[in-house]
Amino acid sequence: MGTEAVIIQILLNGFMLGVQYALIAVGFTLFFGVLDIINFSHGDVFMLGAFVGLTLINLFTKLGWMGGGIYPLTLFMIFFFCMLITGFLGILFERFAVKPVSESPPLMSLLATLGLAIAIREAVRLFYPMGSESKRFPELLAPIFAGTSKAFEIKGVLLRYDTLLIFGIGVAVIIVVSLYINKTMIGLGIRAVAQDSEAAMMMGVNRDMVVDVTFFIGSALAGLTGILNGLFYNTVIFDMGAMAAVIGFSAAVIGGLGNIYGAIIGGFVFALTQAFSAAFIPRGSEYMDVVAFGVLIIFLVFKPSGILGEKMHERV
Amino acid sequence: MSEDILLELSNVTTVYGRNKMLLDVSLQVPNGKCACLLGSNGSGKSTLIKAVMGLVKIVEGTIRFDGKDITGQRTYRAVRKGISIVPEGKRIFPKMTVLENLRMGAFTEKKQNEIQNRFEQVFEHFPRLKDRSHQIAGTLSGGEQSMLAIGRGLMSDPKMIIFDEPSLGLAPVLVQQTFEIIHRINESGVTIFLVEQNAHLSLSISDVGYFLQKGKIIAGGTTEELKASDFIQAAYFG
Ligand SMILES: Nc1ncnc2c1ncn2[C@@H]1O[C@H](COP(=O)(O)OP(=O)(O)OP(=O)(O)O)[C@@H](O)[C@H]1O
Ligand SMILES: [Mg+2]
Repeated sequence: MGTEAVIIQILLNGFMLGVQYALIAVGFTLFFGVLDIINFSHGDVFMLGAFVGLTLINLFTKLGWMGGGIYPLTLFMIFFFCMLITGFLGILFERFAVKPVSESPPLMSLLATLGLAIAIREAVRLFYPMGSESKRFPELLAPIFAGTSKAFEIKGVLLRYDTLLIFGIGVAVIIVVSLYINKTMIGLGIRAVAQDSEAAMMMGVNRDMVVDVTFFIGSALAGLTGILNGLFYNTVIFDMGAMAAVIGFSAAVIGGLGNIYGAIIGGFVFALTQAFSAAFIPRGSEYMDVVAFGVLIIFLVFKPSGILGEKMHERV
Repeated sequence: MSEDILLELSNVTTVYGRNKMLLDVSLQVPNGKCACLLGSNGSGKSTLIKAVMGLVKIVEGTIRFDGKDITGQRTYRAVRKGISIVPEGKRIFPKMTVLENLRMGAFTEKKQNEIQNRFEQVFEHFPRLKDRSHQIAGTLSGGEQSMLAIGRGLMSDPKMIIFDEPSLGLAPVLVQQTFEIIHRINESGVTIFLVEQNAHLSLSISDVGYFLQKGKIIAGGTTEELKASDFIQAAYFG
């Protein structure tokens, strides 16, 4: 491969992961904005998304819907139902683990979400068939291109068709969510609660409803990302959420906790740092996380409010 | 209860945790009139407002608005019944534009043309806000922010507006102007419930007044009665 191809490969990998990190980080930043909490169970909702996706795929395979004329609809249903299910689970988790401790010190909600994270993880390990083993995640666009090759080529770089799915859906969803937050009344309500929740209530915002919507959106995004991650690595496992939570949270902090655009930028910064250090540092793939978290620490020391955030300043 | 009472508190007691704050508070705000609630720092004025808005715990007594019991009701329900508030310290949304802040004031309104009309009405009161409609609210001057808070309070076309210390932190000229605006809003038919420390100025635009001290109402009546009372004279105008 020429250098150009290498660079393209790195950028593609970086962006592919960046979309995923961004989607997870948006949830962290929304929960923090609206409820002032760090929700550590978020990574495990992402893992649940992957397993819900896998279960749906298995179900549709049994029904014989994974091919033929119905296939585009099947694809849509996989993503749609996965987001719906994880979204509602998110609301449920909020009521079960976050609301009961909302009057207690912040440390309590941190512990509650951490406990919930472990409960979700263990539940999948114990109750999913052969839950402690990693599962193969099938390619989704392969049936459409059956007969032709599984990949296509840009400037000497081989790309799987599922790459298109990861990038297309990821970017589309990011755009839809930021439009929703910025252009709709519920979005306005979410931003109002994030800036001054009591004042928002005085204007007639139903805060409980805003919290529900926020948890639905954040969790549905994480669930969707679970599928995208399955497509990216072709494998899923019950403890994949732990690292995802740490990275998603780091991305949100790098971008500026509480700021949606910040979370998106933070996701890409983190992923590109990983991708470039994997490529250019000797034995880089072993050190890429060290470098990426090093970048996080640099931000924590020199710009703790993140790239776009202001909220941390107000707090200190 | 007579029909021309819009807001009525009867024997209301509230708590913060275990501490009682308001004690057996009763007062009435007549429909279409301006009522003021006076008292020094920490006397419980904002707490009383929060009780009306359903933001503190009421342990005894009832609150009625427009003939309906609203005791302990969720805040957004109170807003939908026609109560609007210009809160203490303005509490505008600093990262939103002026226009978005005003839109927040009409959060419970769905009809687009109605909202447009109200924007126009607010801009008539405050032409300055129109010029700055796309500015981020946090970058407005203090005076402009207070116009925005009042404009936002008008956006829901309320039956009653509560003003919690609107003169706080304003220069004397602006204080004068603010009271004139409140008076004008009152004359346009909106009931006013004004919370203030400035007794003299407040009574000058009010029809009735109440004095709150350590969570209890210690005096109340029409403005004339209050001004004639020796006790009030000594305590607040002496
Ligand atoms: N959330 C709260 N928890 C506990 N105590 C509170 C709370 N809010 C207010 N208080 C206390 O209740 C008392 C009355 O407060 P409140 O804000 O009603 O006074 P105020 O009359 O509005 O004063 P000011 O003129 O300074 O605004 C104060 O002693 C205050 O410390
Ligand atoms: Mg007060």
